[in-house]
Amino acid sequence: MATTTSLDTSSITYGHTGPVLKLENVAIAYKVRGGEIEAVQNVSFEINRGESHGLVGESGCGKSTVAWAVVNFLGANGYVKRGSIRFLGRELTGRSGEDLRRLRGDQIAMVYQDPMQALNPSLRLGDQLKEVLTVHRGMADAEAARRSIEMLERVYMPDAADVMRRFPHQISGGQQQRVVIAMALLNNPALLIMDEPTTALDVTVEAAVLDLIADLRREFDTAIMYITHNLGVVARVCSKVGVMYAGEMVERGLVEQIFKRPQHPYTQGLMRCVPKLGADKASSMLYPIRGRVPPPHSRPIGCVFGPRCDYAQERCRMERPALRTMPNGVQVRCHFAEDIDPSQWQPHEDVELPTLREVVASEPILEVQHLKKYYEVSGSTIKDILGLRPKSYVKAVEDATFTVQKGRTLGVVGESGCGKSTLIKTIIGLEDSTDGKAEFMGFDITGNIASRDIKLIQELQMVFQNPDSTMNPSYTVGQQIGRPMVRFKTVPKKQVRDEVIKILQAMRLGETYYDRLPRQLSGGEKQRVGIARALASHPNLVLCDEPVSALDVSVQAAILNLLLDAQSKLGTTMVFIAHDLSVVRFFSDDVAVMYLGQIMEIGPAEAIYAPPYHPYTEALLSAVPIPDPTAAQKHIRLEGSVPSALNPPSGCRFHTRCPQRHFAPEGGAVCATQIPPWQETDNGHKIFCHIPLETLRTFDPVISHKEKD
Amino acid sequence: MLVKDIMTRHPILVAPETPVTEVQSIMVENQVRHLPVAGDGKRLQGLITRQRLALSADELGSLNVWEITRHISQLTAKQIMLKKAQVITIDPDRTVERAAALITDHKISGLPVIENGIIVGILTETDLLRAFQIMLGLPMAGVRVTVRMPNRKGEFNKLSTVLAQKGWGVAGMGSFPTPRHSGQYDLVLKISDVSVEEVKEALSDIPDQTIVDIRTVV
Repeated sequence: MATTTSLDTSSITYGHTGPVLKLENVAIAYKVRGGEIEAVQNVSFEINRGESHGLVGESGCGKSTVAWAVVNFLGANGYVKRGSIRFLGRELTGRSGEDLRRLRGDQIAMVYQDPMQALNPSLRLGDQLKEVLTVHRGMADAEAARRSIEMLERVYMPDAADVMRRFPHQISGGQQQRVVIAMALLNNPALLIMDEPTTALDVTVEAAVLDLIADLRREFDTAIMYITHNLGVVARVCSKVGVMYAGEMVERGLVEQIFKRPQHPYTQGLMRCVPKLGADKASSMLYPIRGRVPPPHSRPIGCVFGPRCDYAQERCRMERPALRTMPNGVQVRCHFAEDIDPSQWQPHEDVELPTLREVVASEPILEVQHLKKYYEVSGSTIKDILGLRPKSYVKAVEDATFTVQKGRTLGVVGESGCGKSTLIKTIIGLEDSTDGKAEFMGFDITGNIASRDIKLIQELQMVFQNPDSTMNPSYTVGQQIGRPMVRFKTVPKKQVRDEVIKILQAMRLGETYYDRLPRQLSGGEKQRVGIARALASHPNLVLCDEPVSALDVSVQAAILNLLLDAQSKLGTTMVFIAHDLSVVRFFSDDVAVMYLGQIMEIGPAEAIYAPPYHPYTEALLSAVPIPDPTAAQKHIRLEGSVPSALNPPSGCRFHTRCPQRHFAPEGGAVCATQIPPWQETDNGHKIFCHIPLETLRTFDPVISHKEKD
Repeated sequence: MLVKDIMTRHPILVAPETPVTEVQSIMVENQVRHLPVAGDGKRLQGLITRQRLALSADELGSLNVWEITRHISQLTAKQIMLKKAQVITIDPDRTVERAAALITDHKISGLPVIENGIIVGILTETDLLRAFQIMLGLPMAGVRVTVRMPNRKGEFNKLSTVLAQKGWGVAGMGSFPTPRHSGQYDLVLKISDVSVEEVKEALSDIPDQTIVDIRTVV
């Protein structure tokens, strides 16, 4: 009988595959006033040639510290206290700087989160790339230039020769990160350390960079240490993963094993914090891990995760567990790993869970029609100054039309620069609109905030992305939350304090926070205060601009639950901006997808995440990293970068990058000339595209789950 | 298959100034028999093998135990290595059989792989032998059959036609002129997802060809 299955050759390797990097019982300490702090304890792992090893965990768990120890970048007060770090068979600890420089030389390369910090803004990219070869290899200039261009082509940089002549600011963020990766690979390093290399990038760019990393790993046999907090990214690029918590490695194994059956309670907790794209909304409840990561100087005597663990017993409090190897080869640091069955898990009573609410259609609270926001751009030539040349505009928001019903949440997604933030700034009145109609509860809100009635301002509040920059550092939490109550006179002055404490308790912060200053709070707590302040005046509409994107996954889950809870108790309507499609799916009832200032698709959340898709939504969904190695995802990558909003493409704004354009009438010729029609399906789902709905319906779902054995 | 496909990338390297005592421990601890010596920019300067560490009795004969210790502690990689001019190297784009020929012809056990003077890998007997195992399909389950056929054109075509008719997949293959029988070729095939009987039945009908060996356990 003929069989159609092909042989599995994935495990076959040629050449020697021994470890490139091997850490054994490493402890890293920082000397501080009055002693020292062990930031990392007992970390052991190894990375083989051509393997990518992920390190995940919340911030403050010591992931980056481990990476810095490998390259001796711990700073003047940090040092490796115990254990050994062996790179290519040679000990790195206890060597002098010059020795280390020679040893590491061009064999270890690092890529950090922000590409601009790795590039010199005043030098042309070509000179920076060539320098690697001319200095380390003593290569002639022309040869170095040739190899640099070759490497840029290897990282799929369009028009590589031209990029060599440009300055860093002249290329996009994703391209900058590619240049940094190219630079890191020029020397063919044995070990590449990547510390959150895609965190600052848009989801579509991130997907392209992750593909690139996977390709290069195979081609160069480079060992990769991949540090990230995003479980989805780990599932996509890593073969092995180590989960770190409070300076210790708590679980380590093959990616498939860890994701299929996490055995450490912390890993299980992390998985429950992440919204899943594939699952439907009702079943994807988020369960934050209670408590927070203990600082290094106050770690418990027993298991470091004990105080936050739902399974903790007396033994966990007394005795620190060792890293044990389980029968399936996974290493777990838990006394009771065999006894824990995650399917029997029940949330602890301390965990804040939102009460699920019924979403009912009701009267619209916010109606926006053909809203436009243009920014005038002033040129610098003499003609511009004299006003002889026609003015040019950045068309930040073009023709936005939507309604938000009372008590519902509208999610807005899109790449950076697509006009999401401008849209809500216009609604709240921080910007006045150029054209169009916007009505909130029957009041016109097209003007800016100065022209608005104080009652109207009270009803519209905002939660910002970065709580640090929105709070006055010298005012106490109580004063900041009380301020809107006093200003809007919603509460008599004498009762303000009681009211603030009530709202603090609703945010699970407690009375003790009243007199604290913002710097005494953690990131998650600050965001809670930010939300508390937005809710203090009992607004009807809250606009959230990426409220959780700067937070760790467990804090993110808690904040999302808190917002959902507040919404169901107070009946607040929300507009929620995020670039993370799984978060938006989890949080929103309706979703609008924006591209270059234009809403491309709008409708109920379930409808957006299933066919028919707008081609842009399809591309976005296929780029989202899913924390499940068994989920199959369509591979659609957008070419090029987002065009300038100063001169957006004619016709459909997405036509220059649309991967499905050939399905449109006349083979896609109309896309460049005519503005697409709004096509509406029966459940209020609207798609702004030339491709007929019947064709869009035939597309397969982007995400499908393989049969689970 | 080219050298770059089967070589070990990112080999362990030492600097010329490395003390010999450290060289020795690196070789023992990492179980390597070849240690390329490289300066800045991974440029090949020389090669240290196990034999280079065996210091000659002549050299040490006149020294007492204290002098020996001092002598050894002052030795560096540069002093004992085989100099670059004498090291036999290979380009990553050469074929694996050429690499194997270089190794057997010079009676050595490994070759540094050099591209534009820079060390990009190392190829040892072990790497070649590993490739050999994979070539004959050792890691895969299946039926290993050796078919003897006359040394003339068209014989392999007969065999492959049968394989194609059956829709069988080949997990490994190698051909050897039959030892001590000129005029004949032995073809070793690893066929997956079949039974010994099926293979016997299908291949025994091919004219002029015989099954000389068939097994599932290699």
